[in-house]
This record gives sequence, C-alpha cells and structure tokens, in this order.
Amino acid sequence: MDMIANWLGNTPDFAVPFALAALGLILTERAGVLALGAEGLMLVGALAGIGAQLAYGTPGVSLLLAMAAASVVSLLFALMVIVLRINQVIAGLALVFFCQGLTGLLGTLLEWTNKPVRGLGAIELWPLSELPLIGKVFVQNPLVFLTPLIFLAVVWLLTRTTTGLRLRAVGENPQAADAAGISVLGYRLVAILAGSALIGLAGGYISVLSTKLWIADMTGGRGWIAVALVIFARWSPWKALAGALLFGCIEALIPQLAAAGIRLPQYFVLMTPYAVTLAVMIWVASGKQVSGSQPGALGVPFIREERR
Amino acid sequence: MNDRLRPVMLEQAVQDARKPRRPLLARRYALEIRQQLAWYWQASIIGLALLVGLGLSAAILVAAGVPAGELLNEFVVLTVFDLQSLKAVLFQASPMILVGLAGCMAFRARFWNLGLEGQMIWGAIGATAISLFQIGPEALRLPLMFGAAVVCGLAWAVAPVLLKLRLSVNEIISTLMLNYLALNFLLHLLYGSWKDPRSSFPYSPQFQPFERLPDVLDGISAAVPLAVVVALLALWFLGLSRAGLYLRFVDANPRVAGAVGVPVRRMIVATVLLSGAMAGIAGFLVTAGQEGRLTQSFYQGYGFSGILIAFLARNNPIAALVVALLMAMLFVAGRSLQVFYQIPFSMVQLIQAILVICVASSDFFIRHRIRRVQGGES
Repeated sequence: MDMIANWLGNTPDFAVPFALAALGLILTERAGVLALGAEGLMLVGALAGIGAQLAYGTPGVSLLLAMAAASVVSLLFALMVIVLRINQVIAGLALVFFCQGLTGLLGTLLEWTNKPVRGLGAIELWPLSELPLIGKVFVQNPLVFLTPLIFLAVVWLLTRTTTGLRLRAVGENPQAADAAGISVLGYRLVAILAGSALIGLAGGYISVLSTKLWIADMTGGRGWIAVALVIFARWSPWKALAGALLFGCIEALIPQLAAAGIRLPQYFVLMTPYAVTLAVMIWVASGKQVSGSQPGALGVPFIREERR
Repeated sequence: MNDRLRPVMLEQAVQDARKPRRPLLARRYALEIRQQLAWYWQASIIGLALLVGLGLSAAILVAAGVPAGELLNEFVVLTVFDLQSLKAVLFQASPMILVGLAGCMAFRARFWNLGLEGQMIWGAIGATAISLFQIGPEALRLPLMFGAAVVCGLAWAVAPVLLKLRLSVNEIISTLMLNYLALNFLLHLLYGSWKDPRSSFPYSPQFQPFERLPDVLDGISAAVPLAVVVALLALWFLGLSRAGLYLRFVDANPRVAGAVGVPVRRMIVATVLLSGAMAGIAGFLVTAGQEGRLTQSFYQGYGFSGILIAFLARNNPIAALVVALLMAMLFVAGRSLQVFYQIPFSMVQLIQAILVICVASSDFFIRHRIRRVQGGES
C-alpha cells in the first residue's frame, strides 16, 4: 500500500519533463517544422539550469535561464530550417549531436559535472494532500502544479486566438497562409523559439528540480521519447499530457520496484521506457489511421518561388 | 570607341550604373531554385563550407585551451607524418569505414539507420559469445566470430525495417530505441554473467590470442585489409551489381521503380539488413581488433560518425572511404587532446556536428540563387 502511494506520488515528478518537452514539440510542429532536436535542447536546458543554479542558487532564475539557453541554441536550428531550408531531419539530427557535444564539453570544462545543487521545496495542496493513497500526488514542487496551467495557456493560444489560428495555418498550408498575408517564416521562427523554450524548461526541470545535478547525456533519450509521444498523441496537447503521465508512471515504478526489494534484472527494468515507446509506436501504427491530425506541411521547407 | 560597337550587355550595365543607387535595406531579394550548377562551383562551395567549419572548430579548440600554434601539429603533422600515429589512424579507420558504408547503404534505401550503434553492440556481443563459450575449433574461431557478428548485427536491423515497410513506423525513433535496448542488454551482460571475475571493471574476459585479429604487416592489424575487402564488396554492390542499379531507381523514386518492376520492398529490406550486418562487422573489428574483449563503451561515437560519413560523402562509397579516413584522424587527434590538454572527447562530436551543419548549409547555395529584384515597385 505504501509502495503504491509512493509510486503515485513520484509519478508527476517523472511525467513533467515528458509533458513539457512534448508540448514544446507540438507548438513547433503545429507550425510545420519537424523538430527532432528535443533531446539536444533538453540537454542545453539541463546544463544551463545547473550552471545558473550553481552561480545564483535561485531555482526560478535557473529555470528561466534554461528556457533562454534552449531558445538561443534553437536559433541555430531556425537558421538551418527557415533561412537555409536544409532537410529538417538532417537539421534536427545535427542539432542533437551539436548539443550533445557542446554540453558534454562545457559541463567538463566548466566543472559543473556531479555537483549537487539545492532544488525547490515541495508545496502541499492542503485539503487534497490529506487524502489516503493519492495524497502524495498533491505534495510536489511548484512547477508540477504550474504544468497544467502551461498546458492550458498553450492550448488556449493554439485554439482560441488569431495568433494560434495563423500558426496552425502556417503548418497546414503555408502557401495559402502566405497568400493571406501571414508571414510564414516569421511564425515558424516564433514557434521554434517558443517551443524550444518549453523543451529547455523540461531539461532544466530534470537537472535543477529532479536529479539536482548534471551528468553528461543525462536526459537518456527522454527527448526522443517525447518525439514519439507527440506522434502517439497525434499532435494534441491533452493526449500528450496523458501519454506523459503514462511514461511518468513507468519511470516512477523503476525505483519503487528496487526499493520494495523485488529482485528483477536491473538493466532489463531500465529498458522498459524504451521498450514501451517502441510498443506504443507499433500500437499507434497498427491501429486505425486517423487522418488529418498531422500538420499538413510538417517537415516541408517553405519557399515562395517568386518569378521576376 | 563608337557607341554602336559596344556589346548590348555593356550598354545595359552602364545604364544601370547611372541609376541612383538604392539603399541596401530598400532593395528586394528573391529566392529562386537553381536547376543546375557546374560541378566545380558545387565543389568550391562545399570546400568553402568545410573551411568555415574547420575555422569554427579551430576557434573553439583555441578557446578550450589548445595553443593556436599546436593545432596544425596536433591534427595533421602528428597524425599523418608520425608512423605510430599513422598506424593508429589506419586502425581507427577500419571500423569507421564500415559504419560509414553501413550509413551509405541504408541512406541509399531511403532508410534513416540511426541504429548503427545498437547493431555494432550486437555484432560485438555475437563475436564475444563465440569466444566466451569456446564454440568451434581454434583455427575456425575467428571466422566464426566474424559470422556471428554479421548475423547479430543483421538481426538487430530486421525489426525496424519490417516495421517501417509493414506499418510505416518511423525508423528514426525505432532504431534509436533499439540502441537503448541493446546498450542496456550489453550492460546487463557486462555487470552480470559475462564479467571477468579477475577484473574490477565491467569487462568481459580477455580473448585468447587466436581470437584476436593478427597483425598482417608490421604493426598493421588484419582489421585494415578486412575493412578494405568489405568496402570493395560494398562498392561492387552499390556501384556495379544489378542490385545497385535497382537501388538507384528506388532512391530516385520508389513508386516509379515499383511500376517498372523493381522489387522495391525486397531491395529495401536487403539493403538495410546488409547495413546492419556491416555495423555488426564494425563491432567485431573493435572488440577483436582493438580492445580484445567486450567493454561498456567501445561503440561510442561510431553511430554518429557513420551517419556523418555517409552524409558528407553524399552516399558515395568511394568518397566514404576518404571521409572515414579523415574521421579516423579526427578521432586519433581527439584522443591525444584528451591526454595532453584534458579536453573531453565530446569535442570530437562537437567538431563533427559543426562540419555537418556547415556542409548541409552549403547545400542552400548550391540549390538556390538569390536574385536582386529590379526596381522594387512590384
């Protein structure tokens, strides 16, 4: 019973990075830019967050700096896909490898590796936190409670504002959007920067609030899982949140199993998130084809082809 | 000179020059897609991009603490003109050539094989299993290890290609996830039943002398000729065989290829499986050639290198040989930087990424033309 309470209580902590990264990816991909760079941008956010935390020790500032750092690095991606119209798969992969190299290098040279930092204290949502069994779900750091609000804000932006409508138009049919006087490249740039900020926040969450230290390549494929999660959620933020909770449950279960003294081969247990991702991808692919949910112009560079 | 004798174009230019100059920001530019660009222009644009990438890398190296005067020494003189290092480069090049060719193969079939590392790991596990369980007579041990590596690497590529063709599961995600599965399985073996009890590190027991690749020439391992032979086979497959011709059809346009009777699916499956097999051989070369046992990080850096080599070489196997050699130089230099200047090996990955970004960017200037729009009233 205690184990289940702990498990449920830890789930949000593991789910938040997936949720925020997936939300950032959805924001970018709804504008028609195939964003494979999440893994790299999460690492940038994680490293920047730890650096700021070591320097200033204020988690709020560190998380904002994590967002800013990921946005700045994503300018490189924007340059590649918006201005130079490079194949977006190549650009995304190059970004991941660039960020892995950069963060590995900086983390060692600046000696930020393995230095523990102080995270954020937990807040109790009082009447709910007294509930039996699920009470621990409501004792979390502030960002966990903020995450649903961020989701609400992004969903409102995408579906209830003119900006969101234009952003989706750019992703569905850039030629039509262009003819209607919408700046396709401008919207794509903003979508990349904003989405990357959210992905950076996810990375900062992992390093500053969750593990509270930096290790090279510490995201361990979570960015790729978020990419898979977006496909699984058919680019819908709420479904992505549900998927993130699923993966949070799985990741939270791993330490609980060990703590409960259940003897399982450790490395097989560590495989589960990846195996589940594969299984989910297969399940989605073999199900009924839901058409129309993928942004129409995803991954297609925009060029107006003006004639003289 | 008589005005009438002047060429028309010159006249036009003179007239243009007499017009009042428009300020820079008020000019309008339009992007056009080029149909064709002469090969020498293409080559010089790519060369320029590489130079920019190398310049950026040099700047980063200097910023990280390598004296600027030592760069040329470290990367060129000490890697090529020093016999010991040259051997190290050749040695390093053999698995590099194989992963590069594996990348080329898969890309020719329009398949993003990011699972090279997982396939390498399985190749190495297969080879080590033969050694560990002492399967086969001593004389046949090495060929058996080679065969096991081929089979295991190939087997790890079966799932993603079938999933892509049958269910159109994105192969980028599936191959990457399979990498993590392979890695965790490797750790399971190395921290568990395959761990050498005499070592405190997570290594498998040392291979017997007859299970290690011998030296053919003084100091040059058999890995080098083996890699060259496999590379020649790949060259024949991609360049000369009927399959290679089919593959070019598939690469150009799978639908048309199918319509004219090319067995598209069978070609894709076979090519991707061969790609996995070559990555498996690369794993065999590293374990049986360099390390002499299974270790937990032997595969690191090869997955990206393979993709990078294939990309820089434009999927051309001959160019891949050259690029692989250059990458091997980069790796050897990176190791010596690690020793002498305490620069982490991630530097190598960063330099590789910068080179890819620069060359990919140069593609823009090859495929597009920026024209100034005359007037600007339109």
